[in-house]
Amino acid sequence: MSLKKRLWLIFGPILTAAALMLVVFLSPLWSRFNYVSPKVQRNAAASLSPLVLKGQLIKRNALENHYVPFFGSSEWSRFDPFHPSVLATKYHRSYRPFLLGARGSQSLTNFFVMQSVNAQLKNKKAVFFVSPQWFTPIGENPNAFMFYYSPLQTTTWIENQTGSKMDRYAAYRLLEMPSGNSDKIISSALARIAAGLAPTRSQMLYIGVRRRILLNEDQIYSRFRIPLNNAETIDKNMKLLPKHDNDRKLYALAGKLGKQQTTSNDFGISNAFWNRRLKRHIGQLKDFQANQSYLQSPEYSDFELVLDQFAKDRTNVLFIIPPVNRKWQQYTGLSASMLQKFSAKIKYQLRSQGFNHIADLSKDGNVPYFMTDTIHPGWRGWLKIDQSVKPFLTKKVSPPHYKINNQFYSKKWQQDQY
Amino acid sequence: MRWFVPYGNPTYFLWLALAIIPLMIGLLYGRRFRGYQTLISFFFLLLTFGGPNWRTGIALIGYFIYQILLVSGYSYYRQRKGSANKGWVFIGAVILAILPLVIVKVTPAIENGRQSIIGFLGISYITFKVVQTIMETRDGIIKEFHPVLFGQFLLFFPTISSGPIDRYRRFLTDYEKVPPQSEYLNLIQTGVRYIFTGFVYKFILAYFFGTMLMPIVERRALLAHGFSWNIVAYMYVYSMDLFFDFAGYSLFAVGISYLMGIKTPMNFNQPFKSKNIKDFWNRWHMTLSFWFRDYIFMRLVFFFMKHKVFKSRVTTANVCYVINMLIMGFWHGETWFYITYGLFHGVALVINDTWLRYKKKHQAVIPHNKLTELFAIFLTFNVVCFSFLIFSGFLNTLFFGPHRF
Repeated sequence: MSLKKRLWLIFGPILTAAALMLVVFLSPLWSRFNYVSPKVQRNAAASLSPLVLKGQLIKRNALENHYVPFFGSSEWSRFDPFHPSVLATKYHRSYRPFLLGARGSQSLTNFFVMQSVNAQLKNKKAVFFVSPQWFTPIGENPNAFMFYYSPLQTTTWIENQTGSKMDRYAAYRLLEMPSGNSDKIISSALARIAAGLAPTRSQMLYIGVRRRILLNEDQIYSRFRIPLNNAETIDKNMKLLPKHDNDRKLYALAGKLGKQQTTSNDFGISNAFWNRRLKRHIGQLKDFQANQSYLQSPEYSDFELVLDQFAKDRTNVLFIIPPVNRKWQQYTGLSASMLQKFSAKIKYQLRSQGFNHIADLSKDGNVPYFMTDTIHPGWRGWLKIDQSVKPFLTKKVSPPHYKINNQFYSKKWQQDQY
Repeated sequence: MRWFVPYGNPTYFLWLALAIIPLMIGLLYGRRFRGYQTLISFFFLLLTFGGPNWRTGIALIGYFIYQILLVSGYSYYRQRKGSANKGWVFIGAVILAILPLVIVKVTPAIENGRQSIIGFLGISYITFKVVQTIMETRDGIIKEFHPVLFGQFLLFFPTISSGPIDRYRRFLTDYEKVPPQSEYLNLIQTGVRYIFTGFVYKFILAYFFGTMLMPIVERRALLAHGFSWNIVAYMYVYSMDLFFDFAGYSLFAVGISYLMGIKTPMNFNQPFKSKNIKDFWNRWHMTLSFWFRDYIFMRLVFFFMKHKVFKSRVTTANVCYVINMLIMGFWHGETWFYITYGLFHGVALVINDTWLRYKKKHQAVIPHNKLTELFAIFLTFNVVCFSFLIFSGFLNTLFFGPHRF
């Protein structure tokens, strides 16, 4: 056997495999295979999985059907019979929530999640849950951001960015995170965008190839890898609800269940959370939030990114501002006046730019069975939220008139004590 | 510049492929570019021991010089005409050779887990090579000492971080010659197969067991507090991860060596097919267990026989098994679970030998057929997996770890 033939027999299969792999992952044909079964959409909508958050295909499909994006963070994982996903399913509403966000996903993560579904947000409706706890002096935690970081969303955004204030600020923030520096070429493209320049042609070429590969991965694999779904939890909770959507009955049931499930402590915190997370440390937690402030934070400008994107997409958004469990707030020394100032500051940022659908629950922290734990709504809290969500999503709402003000990107606004 | 754990990610393999192509072309046409080989060795050592790991790089250089001086010194002493060949000089040299390793292994135990500053990735494996060379020099099998060749042997980069442990004379015969083209082509073919089997082992199977399954099983076992079937599940999952991760790594090291025309010995030979514990140690981490066999077990047996410490040969062997495996346990690290692991295998070897002797004596009544063989494989597999559960340190976390809420 000749040397050449022998070498080909050894290395031929490797080279062929490499070529095949390139063809598969660079092929534009995959974007034609868009079908996602309704079951996968349903599972993904309540999965709270970071994979769903980071992906694209499933969200796009679901939002083109009757799913409405519910942006936020950890509150979505507090399932009980009055959770938005349970109510919408049980009473066959015209919409189904697509829950986006989990512990640690704040404005910046949500901004990049939006990049994967901008087309599906255009002139549609959305719900956005603003947690006061995001607005710490440090703002977005780089590690949490890394956990939800999606190169697919970043490259998609870079391909569509126009050098607007929003794009420049997003690039600047991304560069402050380790995720933004994980790829050398992307980070130098970001530096150019932040400086107001367009990425170079070779950078764009690289980003295009990278995005094509990531996109194909998403097209090929995403529908097969939803590790957890909460379908069972939703079914179980649905069974506890009365047959018909009746405000008075639901309110009574929420009180009853809340009472049953908060027997272990005086804070009105659910037994499960109390026993697992708080009981052992309760002594050390007295007054631990005495110096906490949510008034000065880079998060205000990250939040502006989200608003700016909603305005560009002309999305009609309902914002929910939750309270803090009053007894908990008093025990841990968290300032009540600071919380009131926070809600005033965030409402100013919303209203002055034309975002007028706001459910401000910040004064409801002492309503019994409103909160399921320290900062997350449960039972009656979910019902109160439903009173805003249901009409907003089922009735006709006049189109928004947004007027974005770039002052909200300034350090001055971030640090404004209000 | 990025810094790499050897064989840790695809980029490392890309660099590797690019670097050894010229070397391979040379070997195909009957030349070994030794200067070039030294150059790329240096480059790959820098990838692992440079950058953020520069301290371990310094430690490696210091250690390397120390051992070269030590072996040079001992070789000079031993290889002179009419050398006195005193036992205490030999023992002194061995003690000096393992001293840095002992310091590195003991430091975390007495300094609350802090790593010694003279440690670096792969120090044990280089120490094994040094001790082996000293011992064979003492025996007079190694008659000449070349510091440069010895340095090439110690720092051979494909095997530097975790073996397989080669032998000096074997390495030298490969390094000094160039295989004939047809033989080299066979080496390439086998090497490529090994590397790709390694990909399946390390990046698919070990990933599946170690990264996907293990955290789930681990959490369940911890949440169950105390004994539960989850521990059994953890035992098997951990064993599979350990094997596929290490065997995958070893396949890379052997495969790359083959491409460089060096026949580094294999480390694993289907260990889970072993019919008994002895068989297992002939198939699992072979270069390590053979090293222990040749340089600890056999030497101990000779020592005890020569000085007639024990009357019976059986007792001698049993004592040596236990000491041998205990030393292996101590080598893994100074924690109760590594040492128990060593003791467990020592005792298992003793029981195994006793049983085999008993079986031989009663051949007429004890059946031996396909079924008993299958049972033997099943039993050995489970005994081994249980020993890995001890080895994993998971019981330590479970029993003595910090309680979580």
